[in-house]
Amino acid sequence: MRRIALPHRSGSPASTLVRVRSAALSTLAAAVIVVLLLWPRITDYYSYNATYYNGIVASAAIAAILTVSLNLCMGYGGMLSMMQTALQLVGGYGVAIAVVKMGWSWLLGLAIAIVVGTLLSVLVLLVSLRATYLYFGMITLAADLIVVEVGRSADPLTGGVVGIAGITPTVGGTVIPKNQFYYLVLALLAGTYVVQRNFVRSGAGRAAMAVRESTDTASAMGIRPATTKLLVFGVAGGIGGLAGGLYALQMGFVNPDVGLLDNGLIFFVGLFLGGIGTLVGPLIGVGIIAVIVELIRGYARYTTLILGLVLLAAIMLIPAGIVGSWRSSRIGRDPTGPTDEDEAPGDVPATVPPVAAPAGVAALEGVGLMKFFGGVRAVDGIDVRIMPGTVHGIIGPNGSGKSTLVACLTRYHPLNAGEVRVFGRPAPRAPYAVAAAGVTRVFQAPHLFERVSVLDNVLTGMRMRERYTWAGAVVRTPGYRRQDRAERAEAMELLRFAGLGSRASWPASALSHGQKRLLEVVRAVATRPRALILDEPATGLTPTELAALARLCRALRDRGLAVVLIEHNVDFVMGLCDEITVIESGKVIERGVPEHVRRSPAVLEAYLGRPDLLEEAS
Amino acid sequence: MSIDVVLDGLFSGAAYALVALGLAVVFQPTRIMNFAQGEALVLGAAVSYQVVALWKLGWLVALVMVVATSIVLGLLMERLVILPVRLSGSRYAWIIATLAVALVFQSLFTLAYIDVPALRPAPMIGGQVSFLGNHIDWQELLTILAALAVMIAYDLFLRRSAYGQAVRAASHSADTAVLMGIPVQRVVMMSFVIGAVITALAGLFVAPVIFVAPASGLLFTIKGFTAAVIGGVGSPRGALLGGFLVGLLDTVVRSAISGTAGNFAVFAALAVILVVFPSGLFGKPMEAH
Repeated sequence: MRRIALPHRSGSPASTLVRVRSAALSTLAAAVIVVLLLWPRITDYYSYNATYYNGIVASAAIAAILTVSLNLCMGYGGMLSMMQTALQLVGGYGVAIAVVKMGWSWLLGLAIAIVVGTLLSVLVLLVSLRATYLYFGMITLAADLIVVEVGRSADPLTGGVVGIAGITPTVGGTVIPKNQFYYLVLALLAGTYVVQRNFVRSGAGRAAMAVRESTDTASAMGIRPATTKLLVFGVAGGIGGLAGGLYALQMGFVNPDVGLLDNGLIFFVGLFLGGIGTLVGPLIGVGIIAVIVELIRGYARYTTLILGLVLLAAIMLIPAGIVGSWRSSRIGRDPTGPTDEDEAPGDVPATVPPVAAPAGVAALEGVGLMKFFGGVRAVDGIDVRIMPGTVHGIIGPNGSGKSTLVACLTRYHPLNAGEVRVFGRPAPRAPYAVAAAGVTRVFQAPHLFERVSVLDNVLTGMRMRERYTWAGAVVRTPGYRRQDRAERAEAMELLRFAGLGSRASWPASALSHGQKRLLEVVRAVATRPRALILDEPATGLTPTELAALARLCRALRDRGLAVVLIEHNVDFVMGLCDEITVIESGKVIERGVPEHVRRSPAVLEAYLGRPDLLEEAS
Repeated sequence: MSIDVVLDGLFSGAAYALVALGLAVVFQPTRIMNFAQGEALVLGAAVSYQVVALWKLGWLVALVMVVATSIVLGLLMERLVILPVRLSGSRYAWIIATLAVALVFQSLFTLAYIDVPALRPAPMIGGQVSFLGNHIDWQELLTILAALAVMIAYDLFLRRSAYGQAVRAASHSADTAVLMGIPVQRVVMMSFVIGAVITALAGLFVAPVIFVAPASGLLFTIKGFTAAVIGGVGSPRGALLGGFLVGLLDTVVRSAISGTAGNFAVFAALAVILVVFPSGLFGKPMEAH
């Protein structure tokens, strides 16, 4: 997501392109901002109907704020939300009731709008935590419909079907001129944009994107999916409520129709036209729609039809939206920069701290573990002890229960019987809590966050260590800046070690299979685990990459970590491990040092089916 | 609560059941919740209004016209929805596409019948029939029977015909179905057509009695969706049961409390069921879409 300044050779065409492009874009942005700032003067000078044209821009800015909220939910949080118009409605009610019914200040009304929007979002999210993607969207739809119906029927409070009119922002008894309100809306739009940007680029935003891509992977990084979703959805709800409050102040009224899903379509159109999951996409999209609607003002009855067709055309022609398409166009995309193919992997960075473990206590221990799937006893009474400062191999034929054992140890599967201990203490129940206790796993199949950059993947692994709050990240406190800088430096160091330093700004999806596997290990190391579980990391790796992996495992062992290696590559395991546990049909059939295991008749029988081969082989 | 209210509930429930069935038919092979499904109902109502009320041509012509136009609508919808989903990799493509299609058709209907508040042709069979000491419109009885007939026919079709097996295979795994030689693209197209025809028939039957405004497609989609969720998304029999339950709930609450309370009860039921039973009351769990 974030663009990282790469060391370009000065004078190369690529760096010239980047410079010219960023200058052009900055000029364009500055021009737009200047026009927006001067807009009331421009309209005043050129038009008899200045208030109307100012109102159009103010309304578009308010719509942009709501679209930013939608972008946070859908683009960054991965949560299908159809209740943005309901947020707008409750925000509007908040201001209307405060100003008209209570006679309070409109500023207090806006604050109430934000709070009410946040509360509604939090409430909806809390009741629907179990719901998956599609059903979550449907619950938000139901919430939207309910809010509208409540607005229609709660007559004394909301004014029923008619709504509440006469909402005006006043200071000391006089109504604020529309011009000044225009600047207030612009300032709040800018503020919303900054909140969005800082939030998304902080650890909180990376956590949200991790949960969006895969809750399992996020949990393995110690990220708590429920809290993360709650935060994103709550922040988006607050922004939505703010937009609703501004809407009511701008229009002067609010009624239940504001909450209708039909009215929300314009925000969907804006988001997808501009580019979902991009920072400026919502603003550009809404801006374009405002222009379109204004251009076809003479044919107002065709507005819905035209917007619908624009949406259909946009999703077919530019599926990634304007910003997304620009980024992948020839001019818009970042030059990849020189990559060092033979990048010499350095030493294991000093940032991996030595683990101090009490002597004689297993880093990770499973006692009598049992896991059944129906009648299949996938893990059938396994005891395993993994000591700190060792590399522990777990091998076994396909289907013997290795990966299930890992899932049991890291609490991805609930156990039928048995106990898991982490450094002598009973392991917590939830996967993210196990990760927080110091046990990080790398999955068997690649589980990268494909759509974010290589660097951001590593940074996501550091989420557990981040001490700043999301609010601190949004206002960029010195503490946040310090930690962010330190994290980036450390992540680059880890990447250089893995030979991925020159690819830090690439999207993770652009890496080769072996690079992805290494990146996953690096990301796991970034969580600073005390026990690291690698599920078949060597599959598909080249000899060079294998060597790097082996070196990393040894280095981590020397720092006192417990490394668990689940592997098929026998040579790799035998050369690397201090101790090996062999599993067959969910039971341990052999354990000990590699040499012992290699000669065990039980192991040979499990793999080859014939114990007499031991004699023949020797 | 009188039996009248129950019959009224069953009647409007029949409409929701048919919309729910249309949704389920499209959902099964595509995993797409078609927000434009309700537009087919409006089409059915609009064509019968045009033929019966304006052209005075009789119901048989209307029936033929409704089937013909809804086949065209289904084909058009399939292209307009599936093409964007294929072309764009976005996980939200389906919802944006179906919402956009709903938007387009809604505004087309509104433009075509700009001065018509309700598309209401005369009933197919006028008058009332006496039933357990109560009177029920012939039209209402006809609609309930038609819904049952359509539901049974589709159920048989799904279970007995080769196409039905192809649909069920495609709904489990489109990729595997393709490998087995099932023309999934054609199955998907057929599903859109069948779904549109079923939903349009609902429009044809209910238009004489209930209020179908040119812009009310989305509302019917949502009510039908509620019915589908109650019955378990993707199960035709569940759709029937869910439809009747929604209709009863709506009508009973409406008559007991007030007009808006009916909608509220339905939407609240939707929320509660989604929260408590994330896979519907009678449905199998559906994996994350």
